[in-house]
Amino acid sequence: MPATSLETFVLVAPEIALVGAALVAYLGGAFLGLRHGWLVALAGIAAAAMLGGCQAVDGAVTASGGVVVDAFSTFVRQVVLALGALVALVQAGDVFQAAATRGPGVHRGGTCEEAGTFVLLLAGLSLVACAGDLVLLFAGLELVSIPTYVLLGLKRIDGRGQEAALKYFFLSLVASALFLYAVVCLYGIGGSTNLQHIATRLRASDGSTGMALALVPAALGLAAVGAAFRLAAVPMHFYAPDVYEGTGPGNAALLSTLPKVAGLVVLARLVALGIAPAVGPDAGSVGPAAAAHLDLAWQLIAILAAVTMTVGNVMALWQRNLRRLLACSSIAHSGYLLVGVAVAAAAAATRAAPAPPQAAGGDLATLWTGALGGMSAALYYLATYAPATIGVFGAVAYLGHRWPQWASGDGPRPPREEISTVDDLDGLAGTNPVAAFAIAVFLLSLAGIPPLPGFWGKLSLAASALEVDWTVPLAAGGRRTWFVGLAIVLAVNAAIAAAYYLRIIAAMYFKSSRRGVQSDGGLAAGIAMLACLVIVAAVTVRPSSLFAWATLAGDAVSGAMPAATTSVPPSSTLDVTAVTH
Amino acid sequence: MTDFLSPTGFSAASHLVLVIAAPLVGAVVAWLLRARGLPAVRQSAAVTAIVTLALAAWLVLRFLAAPPPPGAAFAAIDAPWLTGGVFDVRLSLGLDGLSLWMFGLSALLSVTAVFVSWQAITDRPVGFYVLLLVLEAAMLGVFAARDVILFYVFFEFTLVPLFFLIGIWGHEERRKAAAKFFVYTLAGSLLTFLGLLVIVLWNASQSGVVTFDIQGLTDSLAAHPLPMSAAGGWLQMVVFLALLAGFAVKVPIVPVHTWLPLAHVEAPTGGSVDLAGVLLKIGIYGFLRFSLPMLPEATAVAAPWLFGLGALGIVYGALVALVQTDLKRLVAYSSVSHMGYVVMGLFALTPVAVEGANLQLVNHGLASAGLFALVGMIYERFHTRSIPNLGGVAAKAPWLAAMFVLFTFSSIGLPGLNGFVGEFMILAGSFQRAWSGVAPAWQTFYLAMSLCGVAGVVLGAWYMLWAVERVLFGPSREPPRGAAQSHAVGHGGHASHGVHGGHVGPGDLAHAGHGHEAPVERCDLAWHEWAALAPLAVFVLWIGLVPATFLAPVSPAVRAAATDSAAAFAARMDALQPPAQVARIP
Repeated sequence: MPATSLETFVLVAPEIALVGAALVAYLGGAFLGLRHGWLVALAGIAAAAMLGGCQAVDGAVTASGGVVVDAFSTFVRQVVLALGALVALVQAGDVFQAAATRGPGVHRGGTCEEAGTFVLLLAGLSLVACAGDLVLLFAGLELVSIPTYVLLGLKRIDGRGQEAALKYFFLSLVASALFLYAVVCLYGIGGSTNLQHIATRLRASDGSTGMALALVPAALGLAAVGAAFRLAAVPMHFYAPDVYEGTGPGNAALLSTLPKVAGLVVLARLVALGIAPAVGPDAGSVGPAAAAHLDLAWQLIAILAAVTMTVGNVMALWQRNLRRLLACSSIAHSGYLLVGVAVAAAAAATRAAPAPPQAAGGDLATLWTGALGGMSAALYYLATYAPATIGVFGAVAYLGHRWPQWASGDGPRPPREEISTVDDLDGLAGTNPVAAFAIAVFLLSLAGIPPLPGFWGKLSLAASALEVDWTVPLAAGGRRTWFVGLAIVLAVNAAIAAAYYLRIIAAMYFKSSRRGVQSDGGLAAGIAMLACLVIVAAVTVRPSSLFAWATLAGDAVSGAMPAATTSVPPSSTLDVTAVTH
Repeated sequence: MTDFLSPTGFSAASHLVLVIAAPLVGAVVAWLLRARGLPAVRQSAAVTAIVTLALAAWLVLRFLAAPPPPGAAFAAIDAPWLTGGVFDVRLSLGLDGLSLWMFGLSALLSVTAVFVSWQAITDRPVGFYVLLLVLEAAMLGVFAARDVILFYVFFEFTLVPLFFLIGIWGHEERRKAAAKFFVYTLAGSLLTFLGLLVIVLWNASQSGVVTFDIQGLTDSLAAHPLPMSAAGGWLQMVVFLALLAGFAVKVPIVPVHTWLPLAHVEAPTGGSVDLAGVLLKIGIYGFLRFSLPMLPEATAVAAPWLFGLGALGIVYGALVALVQTDLKRLVAYSSVSHMGYVVMGLFALTPVAVEGANLQLVNHGLASAGLFALVGMIYERFHTRSIPNLGGVAAKAPWLAAMFVLFTFSSIGLPGLNGFVGEFMILAGSFQRAWSGVAPAWQTFYLAMSLCGVAGVVLGAWYMLWAVERVLFGPSREPPRGAAQSHAVGHGGHASHGVHGGHVGPGDLAHAGHGHEAPVERCDLAWHEWAALAPLAVFVLWIGLVPATFLAPVSPAVRAAATDSAAAFAARMDALQPPAQVARIP
C-alpha cells in the first residue's frame, strides 16, 4: 500500500485550501466580526480550483496514501468546485432572503457559519472524488453529509424546515450505515480497505468461495442503496420532495446537485472494482467473481435507472409546489444518470466475460467494447444538468417574495409570501422578463430540447445505451434488448418531463398576474442565475470541450482501475475493431 | 449568362448561411426596436422576412442555374460541433432537390405570416415577431441541415417558438393547445431521435466510419443495410417504426392527428400559416430524407399499411371537415385530409406518385397557408369563425372572397391550379401501383384505397364549396365590428373594440361598423393582406399552369430517394407471386 507521505498532502492541497477557508470563515465570524463569510468561501473555492488545476495531468494517475488523482477525480473535483461556487452564490442570496423573512429588526448572524460549513461540504465532496481507499471514501461521504444536516438545520424557518432537517438527518444515517456494511463486505472480499487491492483480489477470485455467492451481491446492493440516497434515486428517493419543500432554494440547489456527485462517484468506484486494468502486470485478467459482480451491477443499476426516472417524472406531474416539483425532477435526472452507470457496468462486464459473446449472425461478430463509455456520458450529463438546475433555484431564490395582496383600508399588514408554488410564477414574463427568460431556458434544457446542454447530455446517454452490444442482434431477453428498452424508457420519460416543465413555462408566459415579484432574494442569487445562463449558452454553442473532458474522465474510471502512474490513452476515435482480450 | 447570379466573392455556401442567419439578425433588430412601438417592430419584421425571401429566391435561382449532381449538395458548408468520443456532429448545411422547394416555401410563407399578423397582433408585438423570425430560421434550417443531429436540432427547435406563439397569442384554449402540441410532437420525435442514433451506430459498426452526414449515411447504408431478418432482430423494421413515431405525428397521419385541429384552431393566424404550410411537411420530408432511402426493405413492408392509412386519412379528414361549424377547424381537418394524399403518394412508391407527393407538399403549403390567412382575416372582421354566423362576406369584401375561392379551388384540385397537378399525379401513381405494381393478393386493397383517394377529391370539393357557399354568399349575417385591435384571447377584449372604424383599406370606409342600417359595408383586403396573399396566389397559378418549372429540377433527387424502396417493394411483391404475373413498373 502506498504510504502516506508529503506527496499525499500535495495531492489533497485543494481540500486543505477548502478546510482552511472554512476555518477562516468560522473563526473570523466568531472572533473578528467577519461579515462576508461567503466571500471567504468563494475565495477558498477559487484557491482550491487553482491548486487542483495545477495537478491536472491528463491521463496520468497519481496515488499516494489512499488518495488517487486521475483524470476522473480531477474532472469531478473541478466540476464540484464550479458547482460549489454557483451554489454558494445561491446560498448567499438565500441568507438575505431568510433574514428578510425574519424581518429587518432581527439580527441574523451566522452567515459565516453557513459559509464555512458549506466549504467543508465541498472539501468532503472533493475528497470523495479522489478517494482510493474505503475509509477515506466513507470519511469523505460523512464530510458531505454532516455539513448538509447543519445547513438544513440552520435554514429551518418553520415546522416544515424542521421536518426536512430531521428527515434528511435520519435517512442519511440509515444510508451511511448501509454503506458502512457495504464497506465491511468489500473489506471481507479484499482483506484491505484499499480499492485497488480489493479490485485485485476480486479479479483473482475464481468465484468458488462464498465471496462470489454472498459478499459481492451484498456489497453491491448495500452500496447501491447508500449511493441511491445521495442520488435521490429509488429506493431512497422519497425524502426529496419533503426536504426540498421544507428548506430554502439555496439548500435545494445544493441537494439537487452536490450529493448526486458523491453518489455517482461511489457507483463509479464500485463498478470499477471489477474492471481489469488496460495495462500493467495483470492486464485483462478477470475472474468469475468479478464478472458476476459486473453482471449483477448492470442489471441492478439498469432497473434502478428505469424505475427512478419513471417514478420521478410521474410524481412530478402532480406537484403544485415548485420545489417539490423540482425535487421530483431531480429524482428523474438521477435516473438518467444511472443509465450511464449501467452502460459502464455492462461495458466492463463484456470485457470481463471469459469469451466474447458470439453473434447469431456470422457477419455481426465484432465485439462491443463500450467505446462510447457510459461513465463519460453520465459525467457529461451531470455537468450539463447541474448548471440548469442550480440556475432555476438561483432564479427562485433571487425572485424571493411576491408582492402581498394589499387590502384596502388600515388593516394589518398582509404577510409576505415566499414564491413556493408554480402559480406564484404566474405572469413572471411580464413582471421580471430576465428571470422568466432564464428559467425558461433552464427548464427547456432540463427537458432536453435541442440545442441546449440537456439535449447534448441526453444525446450522449441515449447513444451510449443504444451502443451496448450493438453488434449483437436484438433478441428477447438479450442484454442489448435491455438497453434499447432503457433508451426508450429514457425517451418516453423525456416527453413526460416536458409536460411539467412546460407547465412552469406556461405559468410564466401564458398567464398574467397583477401581483409582481419583489426580486428581493439578493444580488448573489441573481448573479448565480446569470452565471448559469452563461454556462448554458456556452455549452449550447460549444458542447465539444466539456464532452472531451468528460470522456477523458469517464475513460479513466471505467477503462482501468487507478494504478500508480498508469497512463490511460484518451480514446478520441471510435474503435470498433479492437478486442481487449 | 447566369454569372450575375453568382457574383465572385459571394459563394453559395455563405449565401445559404446568410439566408438562415437573416431572420435571426432581423429578430435582434426587432427586439432592439422594442421601444419604438408596434409600427417599427412589425415593419422591421416585414423587411426581414422580405429580405430573407429575396435572398432565398436568389439562392434558389443559383441552384437552378447550377444544379448539383445527384447525391451532392448545393452550397454545402460544414464545421465541427460536437466532436469527440464517438460523436462527429457537424454544423453541416446544404440544399438538394429534396429540400429546395420546401426551403423556398419556408421563406415565402414567413412573409405571409408576418403580414397576416399586421393588425391582429398588438399585444406584446416584439415577442411575437421575434418568435416568428426565430421560427423562420429554424424552418429554413431543418431543410438545409445535412447532419442527422443538426436536422433533429432544428426539427425539435421549431416546437419552441411555436409553443410560445400558440400559448401567448392564441385563442381561448391556447394553453392546453400549446402543451398538447408540444408534448405530443416531442414524444413522437424522441423515438425518431433514438432511431436516427441507431442508424448512425449501425453504420459505424458496419463501415467502421462514424458519420452523422445524412448523405454519407444513405450511401453507406446502401452497402450495409440494417438487418431485416429474425437473425438481425428485425432492426430495420424497429428503426423504421421509431422514425415513423415522430414523422407520423408531425404529418399527421390519421390515428395520431388529434393535436392538429386543436393547435390550429387555437394558434394565431401567423402561427397557423407556418404550422400548416411548413411544419407539417417536415414529417413527410423526414420520410423522404431518411426512411425511404435508408430503410428500403422496412419501407416496402410498411408501405401498404401507410398507403392505406393515407387513404383512410383522406376520407376521415374529409368527413370530419364536412360536419365542422368552425371555419378554422374545417380548414384544419382539410389539412389532415390533404396530408393523407401526400402520405398515400409517398408510399405508393411509384415515381409519378412520389414526385406528385413532393409537389403536393408545396401545393398544400400554399393552399392551406392561404386559407388559414383568409380565415384569420374573416375573424378579424367579424370576430367569429362560426360558419352558421357568417354569411354574405362576398358582398362586403369581394376581393377577399375572390381569394378565398381561389385558394379553395387550389385546395380541391381544380384543373389549372396547383392542387390539381399534385393530386392528379398522386392518384395516377396510386392507380398505376394498384393496376400493375402489386401482387394480386394486394390488388383489391390498393384499388379500394386509390378509390378512397378519388372519393376524397369529391368529398373535399363538397365540404370546401359548401363552406364557401355558406360563408361568402347568402344573406349577410354578422356585420363587421371593426378591426381586432387587440388579439382576442379572452381578456374580455372584444367589448373594447366595439364600434370604431377598423383597419379597412385606406380608401375604404372609415366608418365601417357604425351604421348597422347601411346595406353593404365594404371591408375588403388591406394592402398588407394583399401582400400576404398575392405571392401565394402567384405560385398557385404558376404551379398549376407550368408545373414543369417545379417538377423538373427536383425530379432526379426525388426519384432517387424512392428508388431503393420501390425496388424493395417490387422484390417483396415478386416474392408473393411468381414473377411472370407481376408487371414491373419501370
